[in-house]
Amino acid sequence: MEYPDFVRFYPEEPFTTGYDTYIVFTAEREQAKSNMGIIKGYLIEAESVGELLFGLKKAKGITGVLSNEIKVNKEAVMRKKVDVLLDSVDRRLDYATIKLAAEKNVVIEVALSKFIISSGVKRMRLFEETIQLLKIINKFKTPFVLTTAASSLYELRHRRQVEDFFAFLGADVGKARIHAWKLMRRLTDERYIMDGLEVEG
Amino acid sequence: MKGLPPALRKRKRYIAFQVLGNEPVEERGLIQEIWQTALSLYGEYYAAGMNIWVEHFDGRKGVIRCSRDALEKVKMVLTLVSSVGNAKVVIVTMGVAGTIKKCMRYLEVLENASAADGV
Repeated sequence: MEYPDFVRFYPEEPFTTGYDTYIVFTAEREQAKSNMGIIKGYLIEAESVGELLFGLKKAKGITGVLSNEIKVNKEAVMRKKVDVLLDSVDRRLDYATIKLAAEKNVVIEVALSKFIISSGVKRMRLFEETIQLLKIINKFKTPFVLTTAASSLYELRHRRQVEDFFAFLGADVGKARIHAWKLMRRLTDERYIMDGLEVEG
Repeated sequence: MKGLPPALRKRKRYIAFQVLGNEPVEERGLIQEIWQTALSLYGEYYAAGMNIWVEHFDGRKGVIRCSRDALEKVKMVLTLVSSVGNAKVVIVTMGVAGTIKKCMRYLEVLENASAADGV
């Protein structure tokens, strides 16, 4: 199985992190400097539904939406082009959006870097929100991935550490791995049509 | 408390770790940062029960002792440490063992590794 990590920068030569591929979501037009497994994702940062719809017109490849607004995230889940709801310190999701994401097969990113860059009351609130998010994800079997969402080399962590961290908060690590693998198949496997259906021979 | 019978002693776990950073890291600074993160994350009551103790640290890799019950909590603390003093660091946990001897094996693997292995 191939495990991807979602990052916000082009990692040059990171230490062994246990991830096979890095999916880079960045607004910069920089190119990958090394030939390790890097896939460029399409990032849409939107603060309003209008911005989201405008961004989606040009979207191609794996598309991730990053927004702090519940309304935008809810709209994003309903769009066919959107693959991932990206995570940040200020991301807001509501119950209905998580339920809808399960139906529409949109992956929800649960990231570690927001815990690293925040502290005190902010981190306390993040813990509470993440525990609640993971509970709802488990309830509806919503696709989700555990990532670092690192924006620098020093926010990267080993896959085992990321999994241990979220397992402590109540995440089903096995399911997260399966969802990550499914996402990778959808991206890289030419024979993939949809889950449970593939061309033989 | 000293002199407790084995059945009443707290079980321990040893965590082998590696510190990657842009500047050299001192043991004292690392210990302070680990305790600071543990205190801010779990508060005084739970941080006290973790029994964190740095057994060995050579500036790059080392071994931390902690209570068995608090292993997952200590792992979380190590994951969240992002700087020591002015140096930006990443702490990578190599493995967990019940004895120092076994824990040192993880560090030996690191010593014998070459850059070609990507470690």
